[in-house]
Amino acid sequence: MVVKKKAAKILSFRYMILALILIVLAGGLVLLPKVPKQEGIEVEQLLSNVLSPERYISTDQLAEKIIDRDPSFIMVDVRDPESYKNYSLPNAINIPLKNLLDEEYEVYLNQAQFDIIFYSNDNLYADQAWVLGNRLGYNNLRVLEGGMNEWYATIINPAIPEEKMAAQDFDLYTSRKAASMFFGVMYPEQIQMEQPVVQKPAPKQVIPVKKKKKKPVEGGC
Amino acid sequence: MGPIIPNGLIPIEWDSIIAIFIGICFGFVLESSGFSSSRKLAGVFYGYDFAVLKVFFTAAVVSVIGIYYMDYLGYLHIEQLYIHPTFLWGAIIGGVIMGVGFVAGGFCPGTSLCAVAIGKLDAWVYVLGIMLGVLLFSELFTFFEPIYDGYFLGNITLMDSFGWNPYWVIFIFSIIAIVAFAVANVVRKRVKKVFY
Repeated sequence: MVVKKKAAKILSFRYMILALILIVLAGGLVLLPKVPKQEGIEVEQLLSNVLSPERYISTDQLAEKIIDRDPSFIMVDVRDPESYKNYSLPNAINIPLKNLLDEEYEVYLNQAQFDIIFYSNDNLYADQAWVLGNRLGYNNLRVLEGGMNEWYATIINPAIPEEKMAAQDFDLYTSRKAASMFFGVMYPEQIQMEQPVVQKPAPKQVIPVKKKKKKPVEGGC
Repeated sequence: MGPIIPNGLIPIEWDSIIAIFIGICFGFVLESSGFSSSRKLAGVFYGYDFAVLKVFFTAAVVSVIGIYYMDYLGYLHIEQLYIHPTFLWGAIIGGVIMGVGFVAGGFCPGTSLCAVAIGKLDAWVYVLGIMLGVLLFSELFTFFEPIYDGYFLGNITLMDSFGWNPYWVIFIFSIIAIVAFAVANVVRKRVKKVFY
């Protein structure tokens, strides 16, 4: 009986207790230390994206795109402005890596119309830029594999294949050579070929002008 | 991790089946707690029964606290939850019509269907009225369309539009709930009891 009475005493406060629990729980939310939330995509997703080489585009592919005037991509130079002024790819824009997440550049990165191709001297900084963007969920970012150094080594100054190498290498060399010519490299044989063609003055042509013969007057009115 | 369906833990094809299951449970609970009686529902407005207020207020407070704890612990991404879009004047006018219907008929649309299921005549009339209203609305839709589609504010919440801190809002909301329950109890004791 005593136990029952005690229970009844406690139970008479049951709504008070429930209300108290509610306040404690809601107050807990206010008082809990706020941990900054992980922004962007899941960690596992980011890791697997980083490990995948899908983001790379080779210098040959890029050269072909530029020569074909492919309108679907934007090149972004992530080096500092000085290097950008010194030498960069045609029509590339300069977003230094430290300014990558500035608000003014978000329009370039966070869109679905163009592929963005990052490059730097190697692909190190470009990869960093790619990771920053990928984490925020920008998914049409690419990286030029090897960066400007690779660009020099393959497109601007392609290695001449040795005689015993496969025909494919020779094909590749010719296409790279043609690409380098597109980007303004001159080859000795190209210069030799360009001998000025002396144009001989064309002999004057005499065009006989037929004189109109006067028609004999025919019968009129 | 959550929400479960958008993140693919349950395939999206299951959602109608889950909806039917939850709907049956909801209807069962409504019926068994007496919400299929229009007198009980109208009691909120006359002050002799505050069960509706208490149930729905408690449901809101408990779920919001639970959601924010799950979000805090990382089981749920709150920004992935669906937020119903706000059509300002559509919501205000619709709310007024719904409120008038609630007082006059003693049902909200969900409980009216519950009451139809157990064969209450007034609920049959109420549901018939809903059907008529739906017919009228769709016939006059071109006339109502500017209100129906206008004043669109997007999928906003109080936190977005006023810049409030959600945790404080929840805390204050819970206190309001408890105060409302206490006031409701006082009112109910003063008002003459109605047996139904």
